Amino acid sequence: MLKVLLVLWPSFVVAGIAEGVFFTVIDPQELYLFGQPVHFSKLATYSIGFLGFWVVCAGSSLMTWFLLLGPGDLNRSRNDPV
Amino acid sequence: MIMTSKPQAASIEIKPVFDEESLYEVQKKVHPRAVSGIFATWRWALVWITQLTFYGVCWLPWNGRQAVLFDLVERKFYIFGMIFWPQDVFFLAILLIISAYSLFLFTAVGGRLWCGYACPQTVYTEIFTWIEQKIEGERNARIKLDAAPMSSRKFGLRSAKYAAWTLLSLWTGFTFVGYFTPITTLWVSTWSFSLGPWETFWMFFYSAFTYLFAGHMREQVCKHMCPYARFQGVMFDPDTLTITYDTERGEPRGPRKKGVDPKSISKGECVDCGICVQVCPTGIDIRDGLQYECIGCAACIDACDQVMEKMSYPKGLIRYSTEHAIEEHWGWREIVGHVIRPRVVIYTVILGAICVAFVWGIATKPALRVDVIRDRATLAREVEGGLIENVYRLHVINVSETPHRYAVSVTGLPGIDLVGDRIVEIPAAGAKSISVQVRVPPESGKKGSNQIFFDVKSLADERISVHEKASFLQP
Repeated sequence: MLKVLLVLWPSFVVAGIAEGVFFTVIDPQELYLFGQPVHFSKLATYSIGFLGFWVVCAGSSLMTWFLLLGPGDLNRSRNDPV
Repeated sequence: MIMTSKPQAASIEIKPVFDEESLYEVQKKVHPRAVSGIFATWRWALVWITQLTFYGVCWLPWNGRQAVLFDLVERKFYIFGMIFWPQDVFFLAILLIISAYSLFLFTAVGGRLWCGYACPQTVYTEIFTWIEQKIEGERNARIKLDAAPMSSRKFGLRSAKYAAWTLLSLWTGFTFVGYFTPITTLWVSTWSFSLGPWETFWMFFYSAFTYLFAGHMREQVCKHMCPYARFQGVMFDPDTLTITYDTERGEPRGPRKKGVDPKSISKGECVDCGICVQVCPTGIDIRDGLQYECIGCAACIDACDQVMEKMSYPKGLIRYSTEHAIEEHWGWREIVGHVIRPRVVIYTVILGAICVAFVWGIATKPALRVDVIRDRATLAREVEGGLIENVYRLHVINVSETPHRYAVSVTGLPGIDLVGDRIVEIPAAGAKSISVQVRVPPESGKKGSNQIFFDVKSLADERISVHEKASFLQP
């Protein structure tokens, strides 16, 4: 559970900052999705934007966590008790 | 969802991420004991002030609209008489810098004042713990209830607690969304079940977070999730006020009868009652010295003072003090005398300068804004009468709260004039894009780019005007 926290929490914070900066500078109506102007409501665009940022940041956190695994974690045999 | 189950000792096996040391140890549930006293009163005062503000301000009206509304759909932030547009993001940045510097200053002088008294995490934990205590009873009753097997009584108490927490969380989530969507319409659509999907989502999202953070995670948020808790130490110096146990006075600790002179039994003044540990919301022992887990809530000061009073010892065995003051046996006079030091002076000067700039910026915020955009499709063309024409888009923003009619004119080249709207009418806090054709005689100006100026002036108030630069292309 705490590993999940380690990945989800920092990404949530950074996604919040990214969301604020991105949508301050860019009006959702100026965005294009697959070549078509975005037709969602602004609230939907903001929300999807935030969740999207969160997913991307969580991916980065997940990779950091993965790379932080020590040799002990990686060398452990499959039959060892977890 | 994650984290809904309370971490219980031995029931959850958690493998540390790092081999050498565990970042997150298995948590023991903290059952803070209720405390009263001067600092508890301060904490409750802050709970009332911050929460009356949060739950109340969104209901205040102003000029027929919500006084404080961060209208994301219209991309306008209303704060009482002021309206902020995306172009005003500069003010938001300054506000963040002011907040950061205030935090630095307060921390350098008074330690974790923010954490102990004003942080939403502290405030909501305080409220949720109060509810818990009212329903399930005091600390010992709660520990007993936790250990007891499930019974109809336990089930009833737990359900009542969770229901009260849920109601408060839902109200908090509703209020939160009410700062982004007009709260009166939100209220109506809540009861007619016509909320938008995203409003519903954010309401429940925020409610769930409130419930989780204040009801279940509590001190773990401060210990494991808060970035500030991890770097606040760099703002501390030996003259920073922190909650300190006077080791010299307290040790060796030990139990004794009421009113016994500690010297006569060769002990210090700490009676080792452990109440300072029981009241601690993060479950630490302040007698072990300053720890990063200490959020500076001063509950242990109130608790210890009560014990000292009962023992007829002087108060302040645990007190706000500084590292220097403890070492040198300083009183309040010396502590206050050391408040003024380079770090504090630097923080204050910077903070003061930014605050002045902020107020000045707000006070002189223009009531009208004009953006000139050249039409890129047609650079320059010849029209009837041999005149040369350039086309522009003027984006005129009325930042004020009254509707205005503006006169548009152009200057900068001999014989220059414009075709199209000369008068533009814009409602309060509105914006309009107008297309303007500017024409000059072919002999006017030089070949290439020429500087021209657009003037937009309010017909009602001469002082509201904008003089905006643009370039005119002569082929």
